[in-house]
Amino acid sequence: MSIDLDRCTGCEACVVACHAENNLPVSSPDQAEKGRTAHWIRVDRYYEGEFPDVKVKYRPVLCQQCDNAPCEPVCPTYATYHNPEGLNVQVYNRCVGTFYCANNCPYTVRFFNWFAPEWPEPLQLQHNPDVAIRPAGVMEKCTFCVQRIQRGKRDAMVENRPLADGEIQPACVQSCPAEAMAFGDLNDPESKVSKLAGSGRSTLLLGELGTKPKVFYLERAK
Amino acid sequence: MDRRVFFRILSATSAGALTTGCGTSVGKLMPLLVPDYEIVPGEEQWHPAVCTACSAGCGTLARIMEGERVTTDKGEQVRERVAAVKKMEGNPLDPISGGRLCARGQAAVQALYHPDRLRGPMQRSGERGSGQFAATSWDTAIASAAEKIGKARAADPGRIVILTGGAAGSRSLALDRFAKALKAPAPIVCSITDHPVERKAAQMVFGWTGQPVYDLANAQFVLGVGADFLGGWTSPVYYARQYGSFRQGRREVRGRLVQAESRLSITAAAADRWLPVHPGAEPQFLAAVGRILFDTKLARNAKDLPKAAADTFRSADVKALLAACGLEEKRVREVVQELGESPTPLVIGGASIVQNNSLDAVIASHYINVMLGAVGKPGGVLAPAKETVTPFDNYRVADALSRAQVVLIDGANPAYLFPKSSGVEEALKRAETVINFGTFLDDSSAFADLILPDHDTLESEIALVPAVSNRVGMAVGSPFIRPLYDTRAVERTLAEIAKKMQVVYDGVSVRELVEPFAAGETTIDDILHQGGFWNDAAPAAAPRISDAKFEATSSAMAGDAAQFPLAFQPYTSLQHHDGSGANLPWMQELPDPVSSSIWGLPVELDPKTAAGLRVANGDIVRVESAHGSIDAPAYVHPGAIPGVVSMPIGDGHTHYGRYATGRGANPLSILASAYEKSTGALVLGGTRVKVSRVGDRKQWIQFSTPDREERDIHR
Amino acid sequence: MAASAPELLPYAKIREDLFRPLSKGSSAYWTTVFGALSIVILGAVAWGIQVRDGMGVTGLNRPVFWGFYIVDFVFWIGISHAGTLISAILRLTDAGWRKPVTRAAEAITVFCLMIGGMFPIIHLGRSWLFYWLIPYPSERLLWPNFRSPLLWDLVAILTYVTGSVIYLYLPLIPDMAQLAEHNVPWRRKLYRILSLGWTGSDREWHALERAMKLMACIILAVAISVHTVVSWDFAMSIAPMWHSTIFGPYFVVGAIFSGIAALLLVLGILRRALGLELYLTKHHFNNLSKLLLLMSLLWFYFTFAEYQTVWYGNEPSEMAVFASKIRGPYAPFFWTMVVCNFVVPFILLGIRKLRTITTAMVSSVCVLTGMWLERYLIVAPTLGNPRMTSASGIYTPTWIEFAITAATFAGMIVLYLLFSKLFPIIAVWEFKPHPVEEE
Ligand SMILES: Nc1nc2c(c(=O)[nH]1)N[C@H]1C(S)=C(S)[C@@H](COP(=O)(O)OP(=O)(O)OC[C@H]3O[C@@H](n4cnc5c(=O)[nH]c(N)nc54)[C@H](O)[C@@H]3O)O[C@H]1N2
Ligand SMILES: Nc1nc2c(c(=O)[nH]1)N[C@H]1C(S)=C(S)[C@@H](COP(=O)(O)OP(=O)(O)OC[C@H]3O[C@@H](n4cnc5c(=O)[nH]c(N)nc54)[C@H](O)[C@@H]3O)O[C@H]1N2
Ligand code: SF4
Ligand code: SF4
Ligand code: SF4
Ligand code: SF4
Ligand code: SF4
Repeated sequence: MSIDLDRCTGCEACVVACHAENNLPVSSPDQAEKGRTAHWIRVDRYYEGEFPDVKVKYRPVLCQQCDNAPCEPVCPTYATYHNPEGLNVQVYNRCVGTFYCANNCPYTVRFFNWFAPEWPEPLQLQHNPDVAIRPAGVMEKCTFCVQRIQRGKRDAMVENRPLADGEIQPACVQSCPAEAMAFGDLNDPESKVSKLAGSGRSTLLLGELGTKPKVFYLERAK
Repeated sequence: MDRRVFFRILSATSAGALTTGCGTSVGKLMPLLVPDYEIVPGEEQWHPAVCTACSAGCGTLARIMEGERVTTDKGEQVRERVAAVKKMEGNPLDPISGGRLCARGQAAVQALYHPDRLRGPMQRSGERGSGQFAATSWDTAIASAAEKIGKARAADPGRIVILTGGAAGSRSLALDRFAKALKAPAPIVCSITDHPVERKAAQMVFGWTGQPVYDLANAQFVLGVGADFLGGWTSPVYYARQYGSFRQGRREVRGRLVQAESRLSITAAAADRWLPVHPGAEPQFLAAVGRILFDTKLARNAKDLPKAAADTFRSADVKALLAACGLEEKRVREVVQELGESPTPLVIGGASIVQNNSLDAVIASHYINVMLGAVGKPGGVLAPAKETVTPFDNYRVADALSRAQVVLIDGANPAYLFPKSSGVEEALKRAETVINFGTFLDDSSAFADLILPDHDTLESEIALVPAVSNRVGMAVGSPFIRPLYDTRAVERTLAEIAKKMQVVYDGVSVRELVEPFAAGETTIDDILHQGGFWNDAAPAAAPRISDAKFEATSSAMAGDAAQFPLAFQPYTSLQHHDGSGANLPWMQELPDPVSSSIWGLPVELDPKTAAGLRVANGDIVRVESAHGSIDAPAYVHPGAIPGVVSMPIGDGHTHYGRYATGRGANPLSILASAYEKSTGALVLGGTRVKVSRVGDRKQWIQFSTPDREERDIHR
Repeated sequence: MAASAPELLPYAKIREDLFRPLSKGSSAYWTTVFGALSIVILGAVAWGIQVRDGMGVTGLNRPVFWGFYIVDFVFWIGISHAGTLISAILRLTDAGWRKPVTRAAEAITVFCLMIGGMFPIIHLGRSWLFYWLIPYPSERLLWPNFRSPLLWDLVAILTYVTGSVIYLYLPLIPDMAQLAEHNVPWRRKLYRILSLGWTGSDREWHALERAMKLMACIILAVAISVHTVVSWDFAMSIAPMWHSTIFGPYFVVGAIFSGIAALLLVLGILRRALGLELYLTKHHFNNLSKLLLLMSLLWFYFTFAEYQTVWYGNEPSEMAVFASKIRGPYAPFFWTMVVCNFVVPFILLGIRKLRTITTAMVSSVCVLTGMWLERYLIVAPTLGNPRMTSASGIYTPTWIEFAITAATFAGMIVLYLLFSKLFPIIAVWEFKPHPVEEE
């Protein structure tokens, strides 16, 4: 995935898209105050400089799907691991809730189910049947909308044709009005993301840690 | 439009099976036997719909799959599988949303499935405004409504007041016809997000009807003035999409943006440079810009300028004006230089925060576009398409209500939007009868005698004219899920009331509305299935530029400067817009782009003022105007203009469901009741206030606490 | 001082003195037991609530995902080093004065491990599935992840528990045998079984001696490795101020430090409670106090090394943690820790005139407090200041966590009191001149 900070307006459409797509529980003010909200993607906002030369920096941050993911080796149950496609996946079923992965994720993009999630009737009608409801006591995080990836591959298979570049779009990517996000196959040098990832503005978040993130940020041009 | 999306939509509705050619006998039979909303799909389906969360009128797609609904029938728990909306996305065929949606648009589904939606007609059982209601039947409700309205009509139809939200479409047409049938005055627009000033200015300068269309995507240097076009302005998604291409959509150029605005909006944040203009000084700023353009011989198209306008610019005293704006002359000159030298410059002038001199500002911005030859051509300001339904243009809610005997309210919340000083609340108490068609018990329906709840938009038949478009068109939605509750479309309710009153009222149907546009090979069915129609844009014509007077004076602020030293400006928030989004949990939990607060909004103070008041983040402060006061947590905003206090709109609902009721304070409530002269729009930025610290931090939640990324912690 | 050496007392008296507590029970004793027990029950209820409702009942949050439970875990495992190390070292060096203290120490080890070992389970989001961490061929057809330090922990601690139980049990055998003709029937039965038919033959004595020496060596190695592994739960991560090379030795030193303090405290109490003034003399306390002082200096050295490198390195994300400890929200705890772990022991035990049994007690209490705080200061501040500035947070524990923590201390008291009722808290036979020595 690539995120063009020169396009991003900080509108947070991506955040709501993720909530809707992935059945994220809504907390309460009390829980929120404790720091217990779930935002698989968040838009970090930082101020720089002093008035009148203040600048605001918005940066959407989601699981970076690290190729060299610090969260993986520490998980005692393989609940979070690297799947053959190179996704950092989370098997809720297998998670016993040691919190270790979350402590070792330098991006702090892992979220825990502190209680069993609840949706007052009939809010649950909105639940996406393609995505599991997570029980209390397990860790969760951005999945790169793996359900959409599977669906896309299935559709292509059914119509027996190759997947087109950009055909699969995670919810956040799909929603972004400024088209700041691009999603595709980094192994395909011709794909849009590959090209963007190779562009001069491309940087990695905490790249110096060697986590090999698979989210590329295109810095704002001057 | 790529084949797959097209197929996805057409195959969505069963009749689509015909048009896509794979029409089996079943495919033919289905639509005849089963209405769309009776099908419980196990495989996803996509239905076109329309977003009404703001007046931009984005065309949307709703993803439908089965869901389990739990109801109690005589204490018995009943579980049934129903077709449910899972997700809202933009309709790729719609030129406004282009397949994208803003945060609020996507949250629309939570309004549909909100636990506190009204489940049927209600009759007031307690005091006016107490919000106590008893369920009643539609027959009794209709009967009593007809009786009350009939009485008023017999006495004086002029005292029947219909309040509605801004958007023009099937609904506004229905209300209009109802008003005509009763010989009542045309419905009145009760909205702070309809931007009539921008319409008026375009009409005065170019003779256009509708919102001017800014071709941001093709401009190279853009100067935004007072228009938060990436935030809550006329068409957020449309302009955000354009902004994307403006920045990185063209290989050869990257558009540059300078934003002159009285607060650090997300547009100002996105800009390469922000010019913090003092609130209400926009006309002076633009006059100075015009003057500099003349001085620097960069007014390449000055000849088209009406003489009066040219004189106003020429006679402008740059130093004095910019001093009034609180801007450094050098910076402004740099910006204007760049603007004037750009091959395709564009000024986007607007009034996201209405001032009583906003009209002057927008007019001036148009004239500067004229000077720069940025009108009616790619990368410039374009003429809006002729509206297929004419919007209402009366915004004088307080006036109308003051004389009201019967008030009908649809899609509007006057009790929340209008300040205490406007007398709106008293008027609602005073009126003989108040009827509300809202889907929620909100601040205004709390004052109603009767609530005749409408369906949710996603359960309704609706056609909407986009607020900003240079293509004649409409977004259309037809029902595709069974209404959850015992609610009724307002069109139908009105018809039944009219029938009871024995007045002739012919209702509105979407088919009727789109029929004239079902030309050539596009049938009405096609229009319904693709979610609207959008004719090609008329070739941009050179506009006739008329002479509209404008003055370069600063706005008049209500309240004595000695007693109330600070300027106050409530603004439409990204999450809650004009407050209508506050009932949705997703919006409550969406971090505020300015303060990162969730589940509650703060007052924004600049660091100097805050220090002077010994106020720290989260301390409770009292904001006091001559017309009242509110208490709210303070956010010390590194980007706030010294002496200017801003506050996002959204909190402070007396009634609005479990997530919003009683949460925080409503900044609109303490405004002076000042209205923009030419349109009657409520002035948001015209009130002075004083701020004092009244308490320590209570519950104020920031999703992310630090304002600065680099921690300046060193040895 | 030699005059008061217990070795010189007549063996008959020693037996009489040391077996007495087993039969005679005071009301004070039972009130303490039940007092402590009620606190344990409160803790159990708290845990019940946590399992029923979810981890939300704790003060944990994002980003502070670890709190009291991990602190308690490290703390108790740390103290467990009292017995093994002290007694093992003293055995191997054959320090004569060790005799009256070894068993008390070894008992501490076993109980601390039992308690500390519970926390990795208590802190799980789904504690009922804790066995998914245990490596055994299961129907899940999936082995646990041996790359995870938590697995290393599991293995290390299980080994350690087994080892120290054996290590406690071996020297109990001869005393069991002596008690085998106890007058109370059920006790007689118990001791018979436990003494494994010990007859006191040369072969048996030789075997015991050898076994003891061997276990002493093994347990030493295990003990050190265990706390190194515990430290790696942190050091193996990449979190600021966790990812540190000296955490292994740092934790071991801290562990021995707190272990000695715990031992001193226990001995002090036993001395008073069981009237063992003749056996636990000033001499013992003096020696242990010197050990404590030594460890205090070592601890200070490591702490200084750890913090000053961070300070000098001046790396922003590390400095954020550093600052939150020494001048930020955690500063009060930090400086209390420094006073408790260094200043107090240094003054009270460093100046010979001040070094008495009482000051040793005082220092021990201080050190235990200080070492608990040290672990807290390792866990919370780092997690509260992650690399992503935007995700910073703060941790405030709830009554649930306090209750469970309190319960573990109460549990320790209960276990210890019951132990002292069942077995002589000082190894009696060690005072008996036995054949091996006569040769
Ligand atoms: N993530 C996850 N996936 C799973 C499983 C899991 O445990 N987890 N379980 C797997 C197993 S064991 C199974 S059996 C499958 C079941 O998966 P499915 O076969 O998909 O079963 P359902 O989703 O329960 O029902 C399928 C559709 O049948 C519709 N339906 C209900 N009644 C009728 C009827 O009378 N007539 C018709 N025509 N349609 C009807 C329902 O509304 C629903 O849309 O899922 C498999 N997939
Ligand atoms: N409400 C509801 N009830 C249903 C159905 C439904 O659609 N809805 N479907 C019915 C049908 S078709 C079926 S087949 C049954 C299925 O019913 P179940 O057999 O209960 O299937 P699950 O609930 O998916 O899985 C059972 C348990 O297996 C555990 N598990 C997951 N992976 C493993 C593993 O590797 N090893 C072991 N030992 N356990 C594992 C999961 O944690 C879960 O607790 O449910 C039937 N009942
Ligand atoms: S939706 Fe797009 S533009 Fe908006 S915040 Fe997310 S990435 Fe940025
Ligand atoms: S971002 Fe965090 S959670 Fe995601 S893969 Fe990397 S380490 Fe793991
Ligand atoms: S919390 Fe779950 S996923 Fe994370 S490390 Fe523990 S078991 Fe693995
Ligand atoms: S990729 Fe999917 S899961 Fe990840 S942030 Fe975007 S929407 Fe959420
Ligand atoms: S811009 Fe307005 S109409 Fe469009 S999606 Fe957002 S709220 Fe809905």
